[in-house]
Amino acid sequence: MVVLQCVPVISSIPWYISIIPLFTVLSIRALKDLVNDMARRRSDSWINSRPCDVLISQSFNTAQWKDLFVGDVLRIRKDQVIPADLLLLCSSEPHSLCYVETADIDGETNLKYRQALSATHNELTSHPSEEALAAFDGVVLCEEPNNRLHTFRGQLHWRGECLLLDNEHILLRGTVLRNTEFAYGLTIYTGADTKILRSCGKVRMKITRMEKVFNKVVIGIVVSVLMTALLLAIGSGVFSAWLMNDLGVMSVLVVDSNPVYTGFLVYWSYIILLSPAMPIILYITFEVIHTVHSQFIGSDLEMYWQPADKPAQARNTSLSEELGQVGYLLSDKTGTLTQNHLLFRQCCIAGEIYGDASVTAEDTEPMDLSWNPFSRGGLYMSAPSLVKKLRGQECPLSRQFLTAMSLCHTVMAEWKNEAPVYQAASPDEEALVCAARELGWVFLSRTRDFIVVSELGVTRQYQLLALLDFTSQRRRMSVLVREPEGGLKLYCKGADIVILERLQKDFPYLERSETALELFSQACLRTLCVAVRSVPEASWEQWSKILAQSAAMATCERDALLEKLYDQMERELQLLGVTAIEDRLQEGVPETIALLQQAGLKIWVLTGDKKETAVNIGYSCKLLDSDTRLLEWQELRQILQSPDPMVSFFKGRQTELWAVDKGRTEGKTAIVLTGPELAEFDQRPDWGTTFMSLAAGCQSVLCCRVTPGQKAEIVTLVRKHTNSVTMSIGDGANDVNMIKTAHVGVGIAGVEGGQAVQNADFALSQFRFLQRLLLVHGRWSYRRISIFLRYFLFKTCGFALVHIWFGFLNGFSAQTLYENWFIALYTVFYTSTPIMLLAFFEQDVSSESSLRWPELYKIGQRQELSSPLLLSLSLLHAVYASLIFFFIPCGVFYNTAFDYQTMAVTVSMAATFTAIIEIVLVTRYWTKFNIAAVCVTFLLFFICTRITHSNRLFESAPKEYFFIGASEKAFADPVVWLTALLTACTAILPSMTAHALNVILTVRSKHKIHSTPLQPVELRSKMTRGTPFRRSSYALSQGAGHGRLITSTTSMRSIAMSLDQKVTASKNSTDKFT
Amino acid sequence: MVKEEQELANRPDNTAFTQQRLPAWQPMLSAGIVIPGFVIIGLAFIGIGVALFVTSHSIQVLELDYTGVENTEPCYRCSDPSSKNCVCTLEFSIDSLFEGPVFFYYGLTNYFQNYRKYGASRDDNQLSGDLDYFKSPGNDCAPYQYNSNNKPIVPCGAIANSMFNDTFKLYQIIRGSKKLVPFDGKGIAWWTDYNIKYRNPSVTPLKNAFNDTVKPLFWSKPAYELDPTDPANNGFINQDFLVWMRRAALPDFRKLYRRITEGDYAKGLPAGNYSLEIAYNYPVMSFDGRKKVVLSNVSWMGGKNEFLGIAYLVIGSLCVVMSIVMLIVYAKFKFPEED
Repeated sequence: MVVLQCVPVISSIPWYISIIPLFTVLSIRALKDLVNDMARRRSDSWINSRPCDVLISQSFNTAQWKDLFVGDVLRIRKDQVIPADLLLLCSSEPHSLCYVETADIDGETNLKYRQALSATHNELTSHPSEEALAAFDGVVLCEEPNNRLHTFRGQLHWRGECLLLDNEHILLRGTVLRNTEFAYGLTIYTGADTKILRSCGKVRMKITRMEKVFNKVVIGIVVSVLMTALLLAIGSGVFSAWLMNDLGVMSVLVVDSNPVYTGFLVYWSYIILLSPAMPIILYITFEVIHTVHSQFIGSDLEMYWQPADKPAQARNTSLSEELGQVGYLLSDKTGTLTQNHLLFRQCCIAGEIYGDASVTAEDTEPMDLSWNPFSRGGLYMSAPSLVKKLRGQECPLSRQFLTAMSLCHTVMAEWKNEAPVYQAASPDEEALVCAARELGWVFLSRTRDFIVVSELGVTRQYQLLALLDFTSQRRRMSVLVREPEGGLKLYCKGADIVILERLQKDFPYLERSETALELFSQACLRTLCVAVRSVPEASWEQWSKILAQSAAMATCERDALLEKLYDQMERELQLLGVTAIEDRLQEGVPETIALLQQAGLKIWVLTGDKKETAVNIGYSCKLLDSDTRLLEWQELRQILQSPDPMVSFFKGRQTELWAVDKGRTEGKTAIVLTGPELAEFDQRPDWGTTFMSLAAGCQSVLCCRVTPGQKAEIVTLVRKHTNSVTMSIGDGANDVNMIKTAHVGVGIAGVEGGQAVQNADFALSQFRFLQRLLLVHGRWSYRRISIFLRYFLFKTCGFALVHIWFGFLNGFSAQTLYENWFIALYTVFYTSTPIMLLAFFEQDVSSESSLRWPELYKIGQRQELSSPLLLSLSLLHAVYASLIFFFIPCGVFYNTAFDYQTMAVTVSMAATFTAIIEIVLVTRYWTKFNIAAVCVTFLLFFICTRITHSNRLFESAPKEYFFIGASEKAFADPVVWLTALLTACTAILPSMTAHALNVILTVRSKHKIHSTPLQPVELRSKMTRGTPFRRSSYALSQGAGHGRLITSTTSMRSIAMSLDQKVTASKNSTDKFT
Repeated sequence: MVKEEQELANRPDNTAFTQQRLPAWQPMLSAGIVIPGFVIIGLAFIGIGVALFVTSHSIQVLELDYTGVENTEPCYRCSDPSSKNCVCTLEFSIDSLFEGPVFFYYGLTNYFQNYRKYGASRDDNQLSGDLDYFKSPGNDCAPYQYNSNNKPIVPCGAIANSMFNDTFKLYQIIRGSKKLVPFDGKGIAWWTDYNIKYRNPSVTPLKNAFNDTVKPLFWSKPAYELDPTDPANNGFINQDFLVWMRRAALPDFRKLYRRITEGDYAKGLPAGNYSLEIAYNYPVMSFDGRKKVVLSNVSWMGGKNEFLGIAYLVIGSLCVVMSIVMLIVYAKFKFPEED
């Protein structure tokens, strides 16, 4: 555009006129980008400069992450984040085992073990490690870098041997080393090649929905401006041809005496003249507003997390209005909804319930456990009566219950400062063992064959005969132990359904225990049944014989046999009690979810965790009500496959509801899916649409056992089949892909692991801050930006389009109707400040009211303020205003002695007045800044106009300031004032009427919002008696438990064995049963 | 204490600005404010409209077209471009006293003084008396920059070249004899134009400044001889020149020619017969234009302007009508809810 203006023949206004606004806004933009880049650079360099130990010629030196190369040997300390994908060479632990926490990768916080190859372990630990490692000269052949987190294939060629490598030997970047003093690893992939970064997905440019709509409008404007310019140019050609016939003074002005060429030049001139209607400046102003909104988000004290000293952060500053339109919230579970912190809250022993879950964990009165030397605190259950019974030796059942808790698990104990520290594969187990410790049954240590427990100070050693491990099919685990007294006992714990069907007949406390189970599940606690069985010596011997035989069988046959064998052993049980564990939610999660659901958001949970856990959390955070029907895959599949899915869905739902509760026909259904099931969607693309329309009618959708890639696929599915804005929220590296895929990604800044935050658009410290982010900041931002866009469109188009109409009365000569300086100053100085301030400060209702009336949020979801229709109406209004701007002054000045300059001043006055009156009409929140801005703008127009028309400037540059004296005379002329006033009022009349009608029609609902007293959000779901659903399970890793590891004893410090012996050891352990 | 502050280094400031709690006035609009508001605006506009209309009506205007399109018209013979120094006389009568001060305008129609290239075809540096630009006028002036002998044209450009050059003399006919109505040609241009924007070069006599330059092609006299009666009214500060150089906004326009403020006519033109003697030089027929003479008196709002008053009345009434519509909407909207 500026280039065009430099061509003198077509330059309708001097080049510097449009460079001034452009330059002003560009420099602001550049400044903003600079600040943004600096911040990103700082956070990148913070990560890149994290220290790690690299082996350099026989000694470990500290280096920075960015200096790592493939082939480096690293030493990782305990609790250190692993900086690259490593091949584990050896570790400080026996058999070069080491434990890693993969929370950042798959969301599971239990520990996983990795083990070095026996070859490297044997060779590299036998010497002082540095020397041996420095001498290590193996060659690793591996796959190309890829994003498959759970597989790895490669070979290690070392000393003439070829060793196969798999996932077990690999430490992934982003995992944390736990319970292992040192681990040594060889760097395989670094930086962007690491698996976690590979699975982060591509960086997408995120464009907000409003921007997309707006881009279309702008394209429309550009096209129509080009078309209009073309028509005007044709007019100009015709006019020139007419001038040519004239022998007078003007005919010579036709360039080269060629009307076509004149028309061609005028075409470009008109493009320049109409260019303010193409709002390039708007985009830049837009960014400034976005930045300010982001600053507001960052500076909100209500979203500041004091314990970690972390404020909310808008990392992507251009999405703030999208926060006001979110329709789908896709949330991670672990670390996002839950704290991943399990608490033993209640138990029921022999029908007696101890503890009270209605009191929050923090408010629980701590029990006096000073008699217990092993007590470390952390028990949030107040049951003095239980303690009294236990210590008073009154109730044998309760003693057995605790014995079971301290024996039946796969936890390992590590001694530190004279006290055991527990390492558990499952956080549930850890909670149970810790609770037992607090109550006096302290699990001290385990070897392969023995478990040592201190029972109220008396140390007893149990011989471990068999460990019947947990699997997700069995949903229970048992230990078979020989008591010090000689008796055989089987302790079993598991989901209520599996335990209850294996109980002895006529158990006295059964009914009361079932009531307790119901009570616990209503309080959203995770329950487990604990049972015991005395095993006769004879049956044990027979059983163990068969077990020994099974070891020789083929795998699949053996599994079936084991299943049967285990089943034989785990029967005739005697119920000891029920445990109730609270999976602690993040603070305020149920409230937030309830509020967001009221605001019309669909909340989906996507987790890598087990189905049971996910459903349980769904209940406890009020995402699902106790009477919600769960629609699982089998049923869903039938519905999807049926010829008319919607009909069969509603039919099924209605009959069901009819049967359960005649009163309710509301959508109380939730879909539960797992990862493998989701994979089927790939084959059936036609299911997507149906599924989404089903999901739209459901309360929620839970997706369990999904990989990071699948999480992103689900987001894509939602994006594809709805036109809602999606938001992903997560905290771990496994959420990065979905965070990047969604329209808006939110990262929870957890205790560790910055991956999610690094890739997120917004970083929060707490899930509950989401309500403020969406309902307050998002809603405001959406409103402000919608108003801003419409106003901007109106004022610039109205201002620029005048030249079209003027063209009809000046021979289409591209004559401006404004003084050049007015064109330069109008967009930046006369009209931008008030609308910018409005876009900064406007509030229709206060933040408190926004949270109290979540329904207000639906305006954004429905795009009520930024629909294409409204934007077109604004444009139409602009066209109307431009007509008024020209034709009213034209009517007044036609056939009078008023000159062109006076008319120019009048029209610019009218345009400025219009812009000011419009902003006054739009602004509903008048801070002192708004008032000042409007007044200053008003004065600025007069002052600047007078200055540019002043004598002094004219004398310095007569060609530029040739409007000398025009305003002086015009401002003193009542006709000019009256004309400008009339023009402005007429131009604004439609919007004034619209505002007035709006006030008249909505006054009622608004009044309601401002006057209704505050009501707390109803949180507790209505308890329904006799709920058929009980939630009993415990969370374990996706694979089987640690049972194999325990029974194979490779990890036991007390019996150190080399890896070669491991095979025989595990054989032994099975042989032993014979 | 210091440590605590360091720990909370990222804590946002708790100010009204950062927390978006700036005190603000939130006007609560209601139908009770909006509808009367519309009525008041409407009535105010109607008031202004009536005042303007009445004022405008009291202004007398006499408009005479002397182009000579029809052969019955007195100036018909002069409208032929080939006739030189043609003078024609237009007779008219005034029924009642034409109150003074009377302004005498000439008017042109279909004349595009607002054509961009026409308006840009001038050299402001030259017109402010800079002698450098006498020798080499700016390129904007092309094709009225140099004449065919490559001599610079002063004043250059299309506007200056096309300066209106009809002259008028007004006589009152009293019992058969003509009495000249004295014209006042002082101060008809803008003060800023006369004193600042346009300046003659400080060369005496003025004629010398124009050495080696030629007059505009259409001009019969050079710039320094525009007004033979008053030596001070020559060059670029000639009042008629200044008036012409101030471009009209629209293709139909008037320009002030003289004022009638002196002698017997200070109070206005008495009723009677008048004769207007026109030195007909300016060709307009080629572009289908018309030439007019307009006599008018003025009020506080300047010349006669009926459009503005009517427009105010229309918009004002529209507001009132709108408020009635709103009242109906309000009533319709309100009552079903109350039932």
